[in-house]
Amino acid sequence: MKYVCQICGYVYDEEAEGVKWEDLPEDWVCPRCTAPKSAFLADAPPEPAPVRERAEVHTDISAGELSAICSNLARGCEKQYDEESGRLFTELSEKFEAAVPPAESPSVAQLAAAIKRNADEDFAAAKAAAAEANDRGALRALVWGEKVTNMLRALLDRYEKEGSAFLDSTEIWVCTICGFIYIGDTPPEICPVCKVPAWKFEKVGGKKS
Amino acid sequence: MKEYAVRNLRLCTKDCLCLYVCPTGATDTENSIIDKSKCIGCGACAKACPSGAISMVPHDMPPQQPKDESVVAAMNGLARDKALQENEAKTLAEGMTGGGARLMAAVAYSCRRTAEDIYREAGYMLPQSRNTRKLLEKLAENESTASQAKQLLDRLPCNEE
Repeated sequence: MKYVCQICGYVYDEEAEGVKWEDLPEDWVCPRCTAPKSAFLADAPPEPAPVRERAEVHTDISAGELSAICSNLARGCEKQYDEESGRLFTELSEKFEAAVPPAESPSVAQLAAAIKRNADEDFAAAKAAAAEANDRGALRALVWGEKVTNMLRALLDRYEKEGSAFLDSTEIWVCTICGFIYIGDTPPEICPVCKVPAWKFEKVGGKKS
Repeated sequence: MKEYAVRNLRLCTKDCLCLYVCPTGATDTENSIIDKSKCIGCGACAKACPSGAISMVPHDMPPQQPKDESVVAAMNGLARDKALQENEAKTLAEGMTGGGARLMAAVAYSCRRTAEDIYREAGYMLPQSRNTRKLLEKLAENESTASQAKQLLDRLPCNEE
């Protein structure tokens, strides 16, 4: 049997490795992208994605969403070398971010559940809509976003089970382009999700403890 | 199509051929950013650069690709979730220390990157787009965002009807 990393596509072949999947230790990670075991699926033909209607359609737009739209547009200006417009959009983005009240009674379990719901259902539904409309640009963003969300799900899963010990002596890197999170002393040579080089990764937080 | 030259500082190896070939001196600046007001778009610098650090960009971008309503609805739903998750992770990080705090900060940052990318494909790719213009016009009516929004409306010509 083969097991495929849902983040980077690495294939673990039990036969070639000589070690059964279930005999791999729980803290085994993907040798390419460091995703935990839970990010792997047995290599089987994919089931058709369920098309699910969202229960609620929001027409209003929150400060948090406006902040992300504006920080995206800031990047759009910077890419066109229009620094001044980029700065103005960044100021707008920061204003909106400051207007978001702190989450009420936040919890890791609740956050993990929300991320899992996206990973399990919402990306598949959105991908089906994008495929139906033959919108390959949207599909591109959704394929990346789904992989990144799978990585978040796996990391939060591990954190809930083991606490933060697995992070104590190592750094956390985030890809500034797609948001992929990488645990390791140095960032990967290329992002396993969007393929940008290592210098596009940013280290999060201060020194490791 | 009228173009102007831009320099990618990461690729620039200071061979300075662009300075020799530029007919207006637009490439020779103290901050390494090519002077758009002097650039006539001849492309000589881009052709001469041995590092491929200069590219030509059109003054007027083509309209962004139209988006299907069903795609936009699905993308907006995901972006809304990502914004909520970002805020929850950020709030959690503030109440934590050590590895947990770093992980939550990373999750918040990651959610923002994904939300941005989703918006890029949900109708907000170009700052010059009609969608962006409509948004800025709304923000110009609000006291707290009017200053930036008005400046952006002046700076960014809309490239759609």
